[in-house]
Amino acid sequence: MTGQTMPKVKTNRVKYPEGWELIESTLRELQAKMREAENDPHEGKRKCETLWPIFKIVHQKSRYIFYLYHRRKEISKELYEFCLDQGYADRNLIAKWKKPGYERLCCLRCMQPRDHNFATACVCRVPKHLREEKVIECVHCGCKGCASGD
Amino acid sequence: MAHRLLRDHDADGWERSDFPIICESCLGDNPYVRMTRADYDKECKICTRPFTVFRWRPGRDARYKKTEICQTCSKLKNVCQVCLLDLEYGLPVQVRDTALSISSHDAIPRSDVNREYFAEEHDRRARAGFDYESSYGKVRPSDTILKLQRTTPYYKRNRAHICSFYVRGECIRGAECPYRHEMPETGELSQQNIKDRYYGVNDPVALKLLNKAGEMPSLEPPEDESIRTLYVGGLDKRVTEQDLRDNFYAHGEIESIKMVLDKACAFVTYTTREGAEKAAEELSNKLVIKGLRLKLMWGKPQAPKPESETSEGARQQAAVAHSGMLPRAVISQQQNQFQPSGSQDQPPPMHYFNIPPPPQQERTFYPSMDPQRMGALVPSQDGENKTGPEKPQEGQRYTYQAMPPPLHGQYPHQLYPSYGYMPPMPPYQHYPPYHSAMPPPSQAPPTAQLYQQSGTPMPPAIVNAPPASRPSVSTPSGSAPSGAPLASAASGSTLQ
Repeated sequence: MTGQTMPKVKTNRVKYPEGWELIESTLRELQAKMREAENDPHEGKRKCETLWPIFKIVHQKSRYIFYLYHRRKEISKELYEFCLDQGYADRNLIAKWKKPGYERLCCLRCMQPRDHNFATACVCRVPKHLREEKVIECVHCGCKGCASGD
Repeated sequence: MAHRLLRDHDADGWERSDFPIICESCLGDNPYVRMTRADYDKECKICTRPFTVFRWRPGRDARYKKTEICQTCSKLKNVCQVCLLDLEYGLPVQVRDTALSISSHDAIPRSDVNREYFAEEHDRRARAGFDYESSYGKVRPSDTILKLQRTTPYYKRNRAHICSFYVRGECIRGAECPYRHEMPETGELSQQNIKDRYYGVNDPVALKLLNKAGEMPSLEPPEDESIRTLYVGGLDKRVTEQDLRDNFYAHGEIESIKMVLDKACAFVTYTTREGAEKAAEELSNKLVIKGLRLKLMWGKPQAPKPESETSEGARQQAAVAHSGMLPRAVISQQQNQFQPSGSQDQPPPMHYFNIPPPPQQERTFYPSMDPQRMGALVPSQDGENKTGPEKPQEGQRYTYQAMPPPLHGQYPHQLYPSYGYMPPMPPYQHYPPYHSAMPPPSQAPPTAQLYQQSGTPMPPAIVNAPPASRPSVSTPSGSAPSGAPLASAASGSTLQ
């Protein structure tokens, strides 16, 4: 049968910008770690606790990219934007890290007053010297304290 | 959310309210409390109708508490929405109803549809302005209930629950575990049922409280007719002499009031014996000044202070008895001899009952010199201040210097009795706190010993006083009967 074929579909082939080879290995590792965390069984963990590794790894990946671009300036803006677009880092989280006081923010939920009773932030945002309980794991992401001072 | 908006709340009898009906203990000690309100969030544990749930944290070391029953149910029984204890007295429903002889048993139906209907009817009428629940305000408080009521808030019930993983040995949360890492209390009291507690039927805590109430001794007048002095214990710096006067003047003319602040006690002397008796009868177990429950007992004439006239011979004897470490039998004979002669003809100015005279006698300075510390059961002079600091945690509780009436005639006991007495039983020194209405159990072992010697039968009040829930029979403080055989065993061969 000739002539009648499906229309050609435009695929978006990923074109890696220069400098990609330097960071690729770390990013692949982190991705593998994420996949592992996603497939972890839930045995022995509390319901909220099962999601904590996900938040942790997202934080870690975003941290890596954030440091490379904003602090160490080792990658180009193009590569940075590329990583954000491809989902190797969380753009919104990095946006918060640029603000004073939020440099160590664990996740976006913990600072969202809408997500909490009495319109507060999560307990992990409270500095340790102001808290009564010293050892905590916040229920959203398992953070033990992300105030900038500590 | 959508399904709730579609329902007609009024028609279904779902309850909405603006503020919870809760007691002070449940509300907590923090004046700044943040409370969330959720309409129709849970169903009432009694009537299973949806109601407004309030949730807050009653203090820094407390767990979050929320209202468990709806306001309709709580108003029907005049109880707190969280703890289901009476709002005025803090007592379980069963206790309050028995004490006040209220019986609305049959009025509240308990089976499914009946109950829902009743609750809704009541709710509807209450909202329409028909005032049902005022019946609880009109009942006159009886003696029993005044004795049993809680006077201060009790925050221990707001602690976190027990960590069930810890009980199994599996808690991996460690330091961040918000639950208590203790072993749970077992026993009959731990099997409580919210419906039983609400309806006032078969409630183990209530039964225990009622038993205890039945056994609370009334304050009998001492046989020595000339004692017109009442001992008031458990004082605080908040309670002034004027407070005492105000409370005591109604029963008779007060001759004098002597406050001894370092022993947290006071002695109120009446001009007439009848006044004292009347006061004892009216105020016994009911004396609450400025929220502080005070202990009322008969005063006991004591080896007087040096300033006092009749003292010399008595003191010398006492000194000899004390520092010479005489066997108990001998001392008690001495006491019996001197006591009747010495005690009764002292003119007022005050008897300083059981207040330690300034150290003028030979005193034991080391624990090893002190017979009580070493295990001999010598009822000592009041100067036993050594044992006080050694048992500080009990000192406060057991500074009941006044003897219970039947002991009248015996030598006064030391200030910090009891557990200086029982070194053979060191593991049992740790006692759960007693209800303040109980006669001092600390008196039980020493009195037991004395009774052993002198052969006086044990007063029934003391024997029955300790409740059955004492940890083990062999606990010396626990029950006087067991205290007696233990005491006699410990005292060695000089007795019996």
